[in-house]
Amino acid sequence: MNAQRPDPLPHQGPAPGPSPGEAPAPNPPPRLRPQPRHALAVLALILLALPYALGNDYLLLLFNIIALNALVVLGLNLLIGCAGQISLGHAAFYGLGAYLGAIAGSTWGWPLPAALLFALMLTGLIGWLLAVPTLRLEGHYLVMATLGFNIIVTIVINQLEPFTGGPSGLAGIAPLQAGGFLIDSDRRFYFFIWGLFLVLFAATLNLTDSRVGRALQAIHDNELAAGAMGVACHRYKVRVFVLSTLYAALAGFCYAHYVSFISPKTFDIFYSVQVVTMVVIGGMGNLWGGLVGAALITALPELLHRFEDLHVLIYGLILTGALVFVPRGLVPSGLALLRRLRDAAAATPATDAADAPGVAAAWAPPAIEPAPAAALPDSLGSPGTVLEPLLTIHNLSKHFGGLQAIHQVSMTVASGEMVALIGPNGAGKTTLLNIISGLIEPSAGRLRFRGTRLEGLRPHAIAALGIGRTFQAVQHFRHLNVLGNLLLGYHTRGRAGFLGCAWRSPAARREARRIAAQARAELRRVGLEGTAEHSVDQLSLVQQKVLEIARTLALEPALLLLDEPVAGLNPRESEQLMEWIGQLRAAGLGIVLVEHDMNMVMRYADRVVVLQHGAKIADGPPRLIQRDPKVIAAYLGTGAPGEVPLEP
Amino acid sequence: MSLHLLPQFIVSGVTNGSVYALIALGFCLIQNATGLVNFAQGDFVMLGAMIAVSLYQAWGLALPIAFPLAVISVAIIGMLLERGPIRWSRNRDVLTLVMVTVGASISLRGAGMVIWGKGERMLPAFGGDTPILIQGAAIMPQTLWILGISCLVLSALFIFYRFTLVGKAMRAVADNPYGARLIGISERRMVALAFAMSGAMGALAGILITPLTGMNYSAGLMLGLKGFAGAILGGYGSTPGAVLGGLLLGVLEALGAGFISSAYKDAFAFLVLLAILFVKPAGLFGAEPAKRL
Repeated sequence: MNAQRPDPLPHQGPAPGPSPGEAPAPNPPPRLRPQPRHALAVLALILLALPYALGNDYLLLLFNIIALNALVVLGLNLLIGCAGQISLGHAAFYGLGAYLGAIAGSTWGWPLPAALLFALMLTGLIGWLLAVPTLRLEGHYLVMATLGFNIIVTIVINQLEPFTGGPSGLAGIAPLQAGGFLIDSDRRFYFFIWGLFLVLFAATLNLTDSRVGRALQAIHDNELAAGAMGVACHRYKVRVFVLSTLYAALAGFCYAHYVSFISPKTFDIFYSVQVVTMVVIGGMGNLWGGLVGAALITALPELLHRFEDLHVLIYGLILTGALVFVPRGLVPSGLALLRRLRDAAAATPATDAADAPGVAAAWAPPAIEPAPAAALPDSLGSPGTVLEPLLTIHNLSKHFGGLQAIHQVSMTVASGEMVALIGPNGAGKTTLLNIISGLIEPSAGRLRFRGTRLEGLRPHAIAALGIGRTFQAVQHFRHLNVLGNLLLGYHTRGRAGFLGCAWRSPAARREARRIAAQARAELRRVGLEGTAEHSVDQLSLVQQKVLEIARTLALEPALLLLDEPVAGLNPRESEQLMEWIGQLRAAGLGIVLVEHDMNMVMRYADRVVVLQHGAKIADGPPRLIQRDPKVIAAYLGTGAPGEVPLEP
Repeated sequence: MSLHLLPQFIVSGVTNGSVYALIALGFCLIQNATGLVNFAQGDFVMLGAMIAVSLYQAWGLALPIAFPLAVISVAIIGMLLERGPIRWSRNRDVLTLVMVTVGASISLRGAGMVIWGKGERMLPAFGGDTPILIQGAAIMPQTLWILGISCLVLSALFIFYRFTLVGKAMRAVADNPYGARLIGISERRMVALAFAMSGAMGALAGILITPLTGMNYSAGLMLGLKGFAGAILGGYGSTPGAVLGGLLLGVLEALGAGFISSAYKDAFAFLVLLAILFVKPAGLFGAEPAKRL
């Protein structure tokens, strides 16, 4: 795991932070953010003018192929860049779209819309069948599966001669037509395919900048934490994969009806590698980059044709060179360069206020308004009086092979109660949290949360039930800014799906506005309002921890699992943070606190559960635990006098 | 059903299988040292064969001299790949590095086309062309050579890993690069060595298979993919898994081609691959990946 080492907070601001609400929000740092709408309009204008400027219809053919490739790349980019999954089999889906459409439309004589629907649905179904088992696993199994699948599809196309024409291909595919209008020339197809591309491009841009896009990005950055935020990782990955196969199939369908002749050679593994290359060269996750990559890599062989036999070698060398020296992709690197130039030009000493590290100012605990969570039961009685337990753990065990990590642990947590989980290193504290939050399956025992059994539930389902957790090493999503990170916490409160997000349906827009307003208010409340547009790395450690807790609170949990929240903080920050956590408890949240700082544990916990070697050795109020001989023995070895251990 | 052909199919399966096993071992070496899938592995196979062809035919060197020279040359090319593009790459992201090997693969293929043309090249079989008949199976002497040399390489590799200091250091780097660096093992040198060894392994595979099937500039792609499939079948990254997976893949492929349809010969290998990914993704002999949180 990415170790986020506690740094000693180099920036200590003036003592108490500005009172919330009064401080004017500082301007976000200057950014060169592409304005999607304007850029799209410019792109559309250029594309519209191009055929008149060119005059040469051979070049139109090239641009048409670029559009088809760009369509495949668009879907693939979503998969690789946003969800972090790689496919080396998109040529197969491209080919399936082409062949299925052509066979249904031309051989069987189906009407075009039916053929299109048939090709899309069958390809999507095959993609789904391929994705469901392989995406359940961690690691690069999808690459291998898609690669194998691609080769099989190529061979099958070659062999099924009665349907596909075998190696010699399938000829005489009728051109596309829309309402009696025949798309039968390069020029007509040019307008059709680029129009189609622009619409889908705009929709995909919308998608990346939405609830769904954020969830996909989060899965890429940090699947573990995304699951803890209630993102159904597996479902999203499967869906985005199927979506990307549909883009490829659509492109294949258009291709077949454009060139009217298809042969298996077009859809072999080399094309799969080529489209991945387009994504990587242009910039993974950057849709504009994908477009640039598609244009360059498609045009490159045409430009290299006059080198004849040398062209493969030159192509390979250019590709390798670009990957080695511009690894982030042409578009992101180009933008970064522009930004640097602009910053260098604008770097007058007076305007350095928005300099990055200045963000890390002091942080003051937010004032807790009534109750942060709507889901809170009416158990706001005196803390510690156990009404009905929120979480009940009964005889829980977990072993990894021969290692008994958790042995028959039983415990309860009530609403408004803070239970501290302590024990020497390796006692099984984090394992217990991982079991509660669904990251690890218990070997035996029962877990009940408000009467619902937790065993067998996946992390996102447990999060949606109302169990939030933070991690020992702060877990953030690198490619989302501070606000984006917080917004992810509201994931379970949104409803907008792929379609709603892509087309910006009114409901999706309303929901996005509502959640963004909530998130901004929350950011203000926890004292991070000035940092909304910053990257998380620019925050100080305490701010990162606050952000992580705020993000988890956005889930509206009833139970909060905190894994060493104050580790790495200085005493003052620890105090402030624990004060805040104490207020959350007072507002009715049940809290499980894993912590090594005994001062904090003894001051704030209502009850302390002590683990040693995976077994519970004590459970009671802090005062009694401090004097428990078994606990003292566990921390200091047997025979030590009854002094309170301050640090394990 | 022509069951009497079974021994023949098994023999040809094991022959191809040992070549796949060698290629799979090449993948495995680099995977263990760096965590990368080296897509240029198949092109090492092509290069080994083609360099041997050149040394033997154009330079007139005797076979026993030409072969080791070809193996050494590809080992050096493998090392250059690591020393050059992979080490220069500014982005250490695995996907980018894998794509660099894809670029290298295309470059090598392009270079192969420029140097050796598009035609098919052959090497003479090591032990002549008279088949030996055993139990109804005609066995080419080349088959015996392939099996013998593969066994030799495997034993050498086993001894290297198990009993030599360098071999142990390499395993240490694979297991925990950071810890290995702390006790004074040069990770870079081990990685370079892994690339060299995997280049040598690929070259050997190419030289062994060429007398049976011939070689051309782009044949490395399919051979590399088969080796990759073999490595996954056995359990990606496991050395014995790579060997057994490669052999098994060769046999299954030969049986599928013989009894079901020779047209789908290449598809069988990858059907087996898909099946194993769905059923037992860790591979037949690989350990279930431990999940660390």
